[in-house]
Amino acid sequence: MAIAAAPHGGGIADHIHPEPQSFVRRYVFSIDHKIIGIQYIITGFVFFVLAGLLAETIRIQLMHANGGFVSPQTYNEVYSIHGSTMVWLVVIPLLTGGFGNLVFPLQIGARDVAFPWLNMLSYWIFPIAGLMLFSSFLMGAPTAGWTEYPPISLEGQAGTSMWAAAIFLVGVSSTLTGINFVVTIMKMRAPGMTFTRMPLFCWGQFATAPLLMIATTALAAALAALFMERQFGVPFFDPTKGGSPVLWQHMFWFYSHPAVYIMILPAFGIVSEVLPTFSRKPIFGYKLIAFSSMAIALAGFMVWAHHMFTSGLAPYLQLPFMVITFVIAVPTGIKIFSWTATLWGGKIHYTTAMLFAMGFLVLFTLGGITGIFLAAIPFDLHLHGTYFVVAHFHYVLVGGSLMGIFSGMYYWFPKMSGRLLSEKLGKWHFWLFFIGFNGTFLPMHWLGLEGMPRWVSTYDPQFQFWNQFASISSFVMTAGILLFFANILYSIRFGKVAGANPWGARTLEWQIPSPPHYYNFKHIPTVYGLPYDFSQPLPYRGLEDELNDTPPPVAAGAH
Amino acid sequence: MVEKNAPAVRLGRGFWIVTAVLAILAIASIVFWYVAPIYRWMHLPVAIATAKQVDQLSRFMLATGSALYIFVVGYIVYFAIAFRVRKSDPPDAIGIQIHDNHKLEFWWTVIPAAFVVLLSVLSIKIWYEITLAPSNGLVVEAIGHKWYYTFRYPQVNGEITNAMHLPIGVPVTLNLTSADVIHSFWVPAMRLKNDMVPGLVTQIHFTPTRIGTYQIICTQFCGIDHSLMHQQRFVIDSQANYQKWYHAWQVKNAKVSNALPSTSGASVNLAAGDVAAGKALFAQKCTACHAMAPFTTVKYGPGLLDVLHDPTHPNLVNGQPANPADAAAILEKGYTGTMGSMPNAVTNGLSSQDIANLVAYLNSMK
Ligand code: HEC
Ligand SMILES: [Cu+2]
Ligand SMILES: [Cu+2]
Repeated sequence: MAIAAAPHGGGIADHIHPEPQSFVRRYVFSIDHKIIGIQYIITGFVFFVLAGLLAETIRIQLMHANGGFVSPQTYNEVYSIHGSTMVWLVVIPLLTGGFGNLVFPLQIGARDVAFPWLNMLSYWIFPIAGLMLFSSFLMGAPTAGWTEYPPISLEGQAGTSMWAAAIFLVGVSSTLTGINFVVTIMKMRAPGMTFTRMPLFCWGQFATAPLLMIATTALAAALAALFMERQFGVPFFDPTKGGSPVLWQHMFWFYSHPAVYIMILPAFGIVSEVLPTFSRKPIFGYKLIAFSSMAIALAGFMVWAHHMFTSGLAPYLQLPFMVITFVIAVPTGIKIFSWTATLWGGKIHYTTAMLFAMGFLVLFTLGGITGIFLAAIPFDLHLHGTYFVVAHFHYVLVGGSLMGIFSGMYYWFPKMSGRLLSEKLGKWHFWLFFIGFNGTFLPMHWLGLEGMPRWVSTYDPQFQFWNQFASISSFVMTAGILLFFANILYSIRFGKVAGANPWGARTLEWQIPSPPHYYNFKHIPTVYGLPYDFSQPLPYRGLEDELNDTPPPVAAGAH
Repeated sequence: MVEKNAPAVRLGRGFWIVTAVLAILAIASIVFWYVAPIYRWMHLPVAIATAKQVDQLSRFMLATGSALYIFVVGYIVYFAIAFRVRKSDPPDAIGIQIHDNHKLEFWWTVIPAAFVVLLSVLSIKIWYEITLAPSNGLVVEAIGHKWYYTFRYPQVNGEITNAMHLPIGVPVTLNLTSADVIHSFWVPAMRLKNDMVPGLVTQIHFTPTRIGTYQIICTQFCGIDHSLMHQQRFVIDSQANYQKWYHAWQVKNAKVSNALPSTSGASVNLAAGDVAAGKALFAQKCTACHAMAPFTTVKYGPGLLDVLHDPTHPNLVNGQPANPADAAAILEKGYTGTMGSMPNAVTNGLSSQDIANLVAYLNSMK
């Protein structure tokens, strides 16, 4: 393979292949990061619909203290697959494979990711794993929740092994994506794009990618062990054979705590792009936001046992986990304060993307605060395993990650498709979703405090009122989501044509056509500064030809 | 990136008015969390001494958390309104181009950091009292099963099946374990729970302070009927009532064998133990870790000479009284304590007859 270095620099990034012409090579087995990103987004939203149906099944079941909509067995299957799908097939792929692929190579001025074929492989593992996960319903799905603690998961139905295999594969896909992104950000930034000039969305991906690479391997080991124990009787976790059930918990949470940062750091990145763009102001405290992402990612490896305060750990072992978890509140607080300060003195445009970013601030902050509560061991000894925990993590995962995803969809949809999403439908989507969300999950705080445990298909009648309230609110939330899909289907054909830069945004992806052409940039630009200062001219050179009809770069190195 | 001629930052009157309003709201919320009878609203009495302290910590966190939340959301809403684009603005109007403010960033790092220190100190103090406070009172065991709890009391044969009674004012060490999968033992009125892990004995300590009947709830998924595992009661009695209940169970279970249902399903018949067979087995399976020497002669586990008849060690390592049944229980289920792990019967390859033989042998050493 010859590397063609064009005279205007860019080195490896200028290695250009001709654009593939067949439909299959273009849209199915594509190696173009933008197409792969869109594939991830579409697949992720398909799984989102499925997991959303499961969520509504849960809420309908809980309308009545005695349940009765589905059998307890089915109910347990439903919430187990709901959680697993939302985490591994929706939020993680959307934020990393989806928005990551779609946006950050454009933002750093690269023509593609470092390993395009690996990228294609990462993507294609994901729908296959997803189908495997859902096929577990056919053989009896897992019932012990997304955490599948042994020994109960050892007794689980046949589909539990399928679950383990499916999640293992998603893990492989994540790990490959992580490697790809780290290398791309390290090696393929445009000339002048130093780390301290990189947009914050890229910082979010850069903090996340090592987590994908490192933490996921622990999960893979745990899943392999579970699979072997279930299928071949190798006793890792069964205490009657000398195994340790707590070992699983350590391995699982060694992954799954960093995983919550995998699910939130990219959303932080999205918000950090949307807020300055629509406030017409630089992001406040760029360096601290970037630095705090890295600090959170690092500290995230040292707090896993805060999920295990009731698991029989040696008492003194619990303390460092509590204190380090508290410490993470500091960088998280810095971010929240910086985003709030970004709004001050702005010229705020209320686009739907902006509404979702601001909704993110409001909801994620609440989820962050209850996270600190739960890190305090005495409080956790009361509330572990209750609906308070359910409330907490839906505030960070839905109120945080998913709001971030929606914000990103409204923001970058025009870049993907060339058309704007309808703002009118978008606002309906936002308000229905925001109100429905709070109605669903706010009451779960006091349900937990009063004594409602998790993972129940029936419950004490004293909790019925607030459960019904939550269920009805969840229908409102679902209505909002339906509008979102309607909006996409409508706008992709009839939406307003966006043009290159409908938002007046300043990062690189907005300086090229929507959708960008195959190799992104006709010439790799040179970068002179941070993108966020609205009073300055754009800090890029070499973009003059991007929006006119000069021919695309020659396919040098074609073979 | 601080610009040489960064725009001057002026906080207008509106900002200070909003700040004052938010401060009042924040103080109101702090007062609310401290004075409102939230635990009465939630029907959560305080059943043990430390529950009160947990509530104090919760009130502290709820108060400071909501004060913080009021400020963050208050400013977001205020900025959202005050700095919206207006019709009169030119289309390319931009905001005030400030990049950062080191003083502000310093304070919003340092104040949360100080708060983290304070919260750590408070939490550790309460954690210490919940987890480590020594207690040499009553030792009781609760065992999780699918989908009920049983309880073992000193000098009561077999297992108590319906409810757990404790006398008011007596410190309790509660050993928790499970007969099958992971369960959890939660009494909301105690603000305390711990998992019941098979193969592991975990402990909680507390002192009952309020007579009453409370719920015990399982909070770890444990199978199809996990949802129903909240029907047994945790009863705190007066001394006299407790004694009555306790004696009733002693009488009721007098004829019940202390044999435990073994993991294999068979039960251990201690009467059929054979000393000679036990001795042979001991040499084979136990001497790797135990010497036939006094308790203090530790190989890996403690010395087992006169383990069931040593007046200086009236209890076994798991806190149960040293009698044949409890020794059998350790052999059956194993035990992990400060010295290490005593393997259970399956790992040691012991049948229930083996256990009976070993216990007979240990019992014969005086
Ligand atoms: C792998 C090492 C090991 C083996 C093998 C082992 N034990 Fe133990 N055993 C221990 C440890 C360690 C303890 C103490 C646990 C603690 O408190 O930390 C113990 C505790 C005990 C106790 C309770 C002693 C007390 O003072 O309360 C008895 C009884 C006992 N073992 C009997 C046996 C018998 C009988 C065998 C043979 C079948 C056996 N053990 C095999 C390690 C072992
Ligand atoms: Cu965690
Ligand atoms: Cu349970």
